[in-house]
Amino acid sequence: MSAEHSAVEEREKHHKHEGPKKHIIAFIFSILLTIIAFAMVAAGEINTTFIYIFLVLMAAIQVFVQMGFWMHMKDRGHAFPIIGILMGVFVVFTIVIMAEYWAWW
Amino acid sequence: MSAHSHVDGKLPHEPEKATLEGRNKVLGFWLFLGAETVLFGTLFSAFLALRHQVGDGNPSSQELFELSTTAWATFILLTSSLTSVFAIQAMHTNKVKSMIIWLVVTVLLGLGFLALEVVEFATYVDEGHKFSTSAFSSSFYTLVGFHGAHVLFGVLWISILIAQIFKKGLTVVTAPKIYVAGIYWHFIDVVWVFIFTVVYLMGKVG
Repeated sequence: MSAEHSAVEEREKHHKHEGPKKHIIAFIFSILLTIIAFAMVAAGEINTTFIYIFLVLMAAIQVFVQMGFWMHMKDRGHAFPIIGILMGVFVVFTIVIMAEYWAWW
Repeated sequence: MSAHSHVDGKLPHEPEKATLEGRNKVLGFWLFLGAETVLFGTLFSAFLALRHQVGDGNPSSQELFELSTTAWATFILLTSSLTSVFAIQAMHTNKVKSMIIWLVVTVLLGLGFLALEVVEFATYVDEGHKFSTSAFSSSFYTLVGFHGAHVLFGVLWISILIAQIFKKGLTVVTAPKIYVAGIYWHFIDVVWVFIFTVVYLMGKVG
């Protein structure tokens, strides 16, 4: 039995085991993060800077969860997608910081 | 059957990656998403820079936004992301019928999201928050409207794909299309996470 053949078998085995469970957990996690963010705002009367940082943090965690599980980025063989999206994210941060802190001050 | 079906009449486990063309399609789509990220980034930066430029006597974000509407829209879009994952999983196990059902559910949830957004925008216009009211309103409608246009495009795209599946079945040619549309749908959901955070929640805070 060749190494390649057993690799294929391994992959197929992995696929049989991949049920909806992980995705439902990711979904529940996303919903929870969303509820926490909404509740923080609905509660009101909290320090504005703190709540901004908190909200962005909640969004960042949720994006990691969704991209990792739902867009399969945690799976193997996703080096190019990760590089591609990171290039986009890098440009985005540059643009947002530029607009917020340099162009308007 | 078409020449694209597998030798033993069975699709491989990851039909979207079974051919070089399919793999290239997925990679190319990720590059496109990198560009989309930049596009939305510019719209976000414009909104962030202009969101306090409301002008005299115009409604502010605190007065306009209803958290319950945004919460429902978020819930609908998140659920549609989950149903599109189910569609891809059904595709991986070669269950074409349940794949189609999940895709239809995804499209319906997308339409529900769009309906909510249309009603929301109509309410804002009634309250004097039109596209040309202020820098805040222009950047708001551009950003959120652009996302809505992406949802609409996704709804049309997936609907056409469903029709194609009925016509051609699930093959190594149609599978990459479904897979890529699924990634697109998740991307729209990820953008919405930032919209409800930056536009609605931060707008409510002030």
